[in-house]
Amino acid sequence: MVKKILMSLLPKIAIQAKALRKEVQLTDARLTILQQINLTINSGETVAVVGASGSGKSTLLGILAGLDTVSSGEVYLAGQPLHQLDDDARAQLRAKEVGFVFQSFLLLPSLTALENITLPAELAGIKDATARGRKLLSDVGLTERADFYPSQLSGGEQQRVAIARAFITEPAILFADEPSANLDAATGAKIEDLLFALNEQQGTTLVLVTHNPQLAQRCQRQLNMHAGELTELKPEVGDVA
Amino acid sequence: MWLNIAARLFWRELRRGELWVIAFALCLAVFTVVSLTGITESVRSALSQRSSNFIAADKILRSSLPFNEQIFQNAEQLGLKTAKQMQFSTMVFAGDQMQLVSVKAVSPSYPLRGRLLLKSSEQADATTSNTVVKDQVFLEPRLLQLLNIGIGDSLELGVSRFVVGGIIAEEPDAPLSVFGNAPRVLMHVDDVAATEVVQPGSRIGYRYQFAGDTNTLKTLEQQVKPLLTVHDRWQSLDRESAVGSALDRAEKFLLLAGLLGIVLAACAAAVAASQYSQRHQMAVAVIKALGTTTAMARRIYASHLAMVSLFSIVTGLLLGQLASSGAQWFIEVWLGDYRPEFSSRPLWLGALTGVICATLFSARPIWRLAAVPALNVLRQRALSFQLDLWQLVTGGLAIWLLMWLFSGDWWLSSWLFVLCLAFAALLLGMAAVLVRLAKPMAAGQSSALKLALANLRRRLWPNSFQLITFSLALFLTLILYFLRAELISQWQQQVPAGAPNQFLVNINEAEKPQIIQLLTDNQLKAGDFYPMVSGRVLTVNNEKLPESDGREQDAEQSNAGQSDAGQSNAAQQNPERQKGEQQADIADNTLAAGRDTQNSGTASSGTRREGIGRELNLTWLHTLPANNQIVAGQWFGAEDKAQVSVEEKLAERLALELGDTIGFSVGGQPFTATVSSFRKVDWNSLQPNFFMILSPDLMQNFPATYLTAFYLPKQQTALLNEMARSFPTISVLSVDNILKQVNDIIAQVSLALTVILVLVFAAAVLVLVAQVQATLEQREQELAILRTLGAKTVFLRKAVLAEFAALGLMAGVFATLLAEVLLAVVQMRLFQLPFSLHFNLWWIGPGLGLALICGLGWLLLRHLLQLPTPVLLRRALS
Ligand SMILES: Nc1ncnc2c1ncn2[C@@H]1O[C@H](COP(=O)(O)OP(=O)(O)OP(=O)(O)O)[C@@H](O)[C@H]1O
Ligand SMILES: [Mg+2]
Repeated sequence: MVKKILMSLLPKIAIQAKALRKEVQLTDARLTILQQINLTINSGETVAVVGASGSGKSTLLGILAGLDTVSSGEVYLAGQPLHQLDDDARAQLRAKEVGFVFQSFLLLPSLTALENITLPAELAGIKDATARGRKLLSDVGLTERADFYPSQLSGGEQQRVAIARAFITEPAILFADEPSANLDAATGAKIEDLLFALNEQQGTTLVLVTHNPQLAQRCQRQLNMHAGELTELKPEVGDVA
Repeated sequence: MWLNIAARLFWRELRRGELWVIAFALCLAVFTVVSLTGITESVRSALSQRSSNFIAADKILRSSLPFNEQIFQNAEQLGLKTAKQMQFSTMVFAGDQMQLVSVKAVSPSYPLRGRLLLKSSEQADATTSNTVVKDQVFLEPRLLQLLNIGIGDSLELGVSRFVVGGIIAEEPDAPLSVFGNAPRVLMHVDDVAATEVVQPGSRIGYRYQFAGDTNTLKTLEQQVKPLLTVHDRWQSLDRESAVGSALDRAEKFLLLAGLLGIVLAACAAAVAASQYSQRHQMAVAVIKALGTTTAMARRIYASHLAMVSLFSIVTGLLLGQLASSGAQWFIEVWLGDYRPEFSSRPLWLGALTGVICATLFSARPIWRLAAVPALNVLRQRALSFQLDLWQLVTGGLAIWLLMWLFSGDWWLSSWLFVLCLAFAALLLGMAAVLVRLAKPMAAGQSSALKLALANLRRRLWPNSFQLITFSLALFLTLILYFLRAELISQWQQQVPAGAPNQFLVNINEAEKPQIIQLLTDNQLKAGDFYPMVSGRVLTVNNEKLPESDGREQDAEQSNAGQSDAGQSNAAQQNPERQKGEQQADIADNTLAAGRDTQNSGTASSGTRREGIGRELNLTWLHTLPANNQIVAGQWFGAEDKAQVSVEEKLAERLALELGDTIGFSVGGQPFTATVSSFRKVDWNSLQPNFFMILSPDLMQNFPATYLTAFYLPKQQTALLNEMARSFPTISVLSVDNILKQVNDIIAQVSLALTVILVLVFAAAVLVLVAQVQATLEQREQELAILRTLGAKTVFLRKAVLAEFAALGLMAGVFATLLAEVLLAVVQMRLFQLPFSLHFNLWWIGPGLGLALICGLGWLLLRHLLQLPTPVLLRRALS
């Protein structure tokens, strides 16, 4: 807790991208998905990335999270130069610093709700994984469903489990790609509440991709992706303050 | 840490049944290998043990020199069982009767294999014993009549006097030939010296008999090598006889089946592993996104595979061993005197198969599974886990290696392997063409068929692969089914029901009608009467033939009728050993009897024309015997005079050509005949066979005796006694025992073949199941989509059935085509059987394909089709 307070006191850079470029090789041509992206996200900020379908939002998220590699440019995550790290180093960094919530939940079908939640903690070698898991399970209101398998849960319940899973390692940065897109409006809103609540509680940096303007509004910053270029829609909170 | 997660995931996966298909496939592969190898080995050892009975030992050393005790000592030190046997001819006297007899003097340990049965009288309630006793002799029943004495009376043999202790009821290595054969006397080997029959220069056959396991026998052979001379030679079981070759074919069949079983099981394992990977790619992407490195993901999934493999291999080994123990038990019950032998070969071979299948067929997809990029959590791009080139190559090599290890036959395995590869390539081509062709075909069809064809086309590559595995599985089942039927019917033809089981020899002209009368009175049918005279071949093209060489050979010849199963079989290969007893030819070939391996010296040399050196049985016939086949020249026409037809092997030996003149001597009278044809003789048939058949004109003036054969049902065996009384000079040779043995063996082998067919069929079904299951998830989604689009259940059902029917029919037709080709090759090359088309195949093949694949597809998809739309949607989306 002390660490969190200190961190919030000293604005620290969580993510930084410099002249980030992403191209893919198609059979006959090279397609540029992201061009010349410069971006700085401070610790504890909540950032929404909006934009048309196919504009490159998910691609950017993948790169910032260390799932994908850049074609050129530099990316720093929690101070580490992602563009210089190999697959394994990025995986380790993810295990330590990053949490994910996906559009299609992506729970492991063979594990129960609780086991899905504790999985990242176990992968990161955290001792009291089960206790933390149960706590989070109650935070997302699914204490009763601990031993249910994903196929026995509704979509909203699955996404709540996914959110609990994302927070169990107390990640510094949380990435969410359209977390409520597969849910009805009411359920989606509940999921979003949860996300922000936990984010608040843990002081996590949140980067989320969404098509939902209301959700984007709830974030401190909104970035618009258009044809591989990123523009800031709202003045930075820091500037306003 | 990863172990913890691996273990947890493992139990979960087990609970969800995800790993069972792989486990089952691996288990089946191991089981197939262990049980097939085990059963083959048991059948083989049972049959060779059984054949051992025919020579009363596992191995025999024959000699014309007195026993070298050193050899027996060596054998006993090695822990082998030994027995002595001496054979010679001599006269016996009883009162004013005398008779030339053939004496077999044995040690009490005789027989080492099989059963000797001596009876105190001919009555049913006679007391019996199984070993010879000193100071007593045991006689063949007809000798009692010839000498006009009874059991308990005495007779003189050499300078000794013996009490007749009983009659010989069963003798394992009984001479199968009675023609011109002196009646048998059995005595104790230690009594021989006192009779003073053995004098310098007298012709005695000495036999060292041994029994024990094969390796020890080999050791002995090595050890005593320095002690042997040109007068000694080994005789052991051999595969030249009909039963031997039946066994050989059966073994080849089992081998083939085993190889094919392995291929199928390996395919099933590979398909199951691909499917497993397919289903788990998202899970891997997720755990990698959550921070697992590729190496760790690999460890987690590899440990799953390792655990499954270990479990499957152990289970497969246990079940396989259980099955082969069961088979052994079965054989033991059946044969009575079978001694099961434990062999570790099936076990290690099975374990190795499991490991190879697991590493090369299942490990590859799992290796690739761990390489699924974490990025896939964002971009849900389904990867294909179909077999890749690397897997095909390593898997192919592995299959080939397995085939080789399993068969121990480099050539056969390579050949079969290349053939399978060629078939796979061919099928792939055909499938691609057919599926493409299906497009225009579908144009005018009902919409269910259209959808089915569209489905087939869309999954072109997976479907081609499916088609290949379906076809291969069907094809293997088909060829095994047909080969099995073919082998069994071949064997049964060799010994048809009602085949003559009694041979009458030495019938004179006057007795001929009486015999026919006697048989007709008893509602029996006499076969053809073959006239016979014995004669010598003196010259070929006026050139004198060399006399036979080798003292021991002479010794054996003078022991008239000492021909036992082993020797008479040798007669088939070496005409110079042929005693001229057709009965021997009749009988020997049905036995897995011995062939002599020359120790040194007497081996025939090169192209030199070799002599026959002793009398041959000559016959004259108007028509060619049914089981003979002219290979060169022509059979005698009505006008042809002074001609001879020669068996092809003998012709080769005598370096004969058509048109050569052969000089014969019969009863001191010389005459010549021109070689007009060569004949191929089916030595496997239980029919009288002759080396030389003369044109009838030549033999009119010689007094002949006749040979005939007839079938005597079991309940009429009493007739034999009557015959022996009424016609004391006629010899009866019963091949009933041999026939029974042959039939038993055929029954056993047929059963083994059936068991194996079932196993291979199970493997084939498993491949089909694995294949259909592999597409289940995709189908689930398709069904969900089609349902939402408003397709009716009946329509979907029709579409699915039509798709499987098309697949099944195609696979069936391919399989039939390939099976026909392979059957032809295997038949002619491997089994040396004549080629024949299999008309049945053409409806069984496609029919089986259709029924099996439709049935399985239906069974596996039925519940999917019955699910209500919402449930289907939910499952498809989760
Ligand atoms: N590996 C790739 N190969 C080819 N094209 C790619 C690849 N990855 C992304 N693209 C293309 O790049 C563009 C951006 O994709 P991305 O998934 O980032 O879009 P997005 O903004 O997330 O869209 P949506 O809102 O629909 O999720 C798309 O046009 C996509 O087709
Ligand atoms: Mg996206």
